[in-house]
Amino acid sequence: MQYWINHRGVQSGPVELDALKEMGLTSAAYVWHEGLSDWVKITQLPELQGLYEMVNDTPAPQQATTATAQAQPQGGNEPAVMGQPYQPQQQSNNQSQQQYAQPQTPDEPCPPTNLVWAILATVLCCIPFGIVGIIYANKVSKCYLAGDIIGAKKASETSAWWCIAAIVVGVVWRPLSMSFMGIG
Amino acid sequence: MRRALVVIIVIVIAGLMLLGRIYYALDPASSAAFPRCAFLTLTGYKCPGCGSQRAIHALLNGDVAAAFGYNAMLFISVPWVALCLFAETQRVRNPRLYARLHPSILIWLFLALILAWWLLRNIFNW
Repeated sequence: MQYWINHRGVQSGPVELDALKEMGLTSAAYVWHEGLSDWVKITQLPELQGLYEMVNDTPAPQQATTATAQAQPQGGNEPAVMGQPYQPQQQSNNQSQQQYAQPQTPDEPCPPTNLVWAILATVLCCIPFGIVGIIYANKVSKCYLAGDIIGAKKASETSAWWCIAAIVVGVVWRPLSMSFMGIG
Repeated sequence: MRRALVVIIVIVIAGLMLLGRIYYALDPASSAAFPRCAFLTLTGYKCPGCGSQRAIHALLNGDVAAAFGYNAMLFISVPWVALCLFAETQRVRNPRLYARLHPSILIWLFLALILAWWLLRNIFNW
């Protein structure tokens, strides 16, 4: 499992568990890994017990504390808003969820747009499915920059499927084409 | 993780070199070993990728003008592909930069270019 770490405002990661042990973290650190709906304090993850030094973390910014306190009920009950906590911090137009966009939280990695594959499929694969892939690739980055990670992930998958479809059709077509055309 | 990535990259490079060798040696215009475009066969119209095999053959043999004549879109997409590949290296480390490297305007522009190219090549038989 890979962890992203935010320790005293400094973000790092992804790191493996072994590397995390070596980082000299304190209990003031925040951690995120895939599957978590929001950043959590390192003290809240049972598998990381004892891998950090206990400190009194009063100077932690108030925003961060609020967000962490609310993250759990929020993430558990309403999967629909799960994407919200990752909102890139520049997005300031969102009502009450705004407090999640803490200045020191790093961004959730952007899902792959698959734009390269879509373009290559279009130009090389001889079946215009790649064009649909390009349209969805566009949607990925648009959703991501708007803070909609769920939407970006969906669009990323859709664009990947169109690219795969284009490539599979292109490959399957190869023997077929030779059997009844003869000429390339 | 790292080792798997290296293995994949090596396999991909080897595959590309093999493909390059084939496309260099055989001319898709006269050899039966290359597939004909599915879209062209089914509809009678050229797709945006038609001619890319011949273009690659021409390119590998150093005939840039002929390559451009076979499929101009191949050239137009090179800067885009390069940009996207660079963006790909930034995805995990620098997610916002990654997303910014795929700005809507650029993607729509590329899409418009492809669609225009698709239409025009069928009208003027490029």
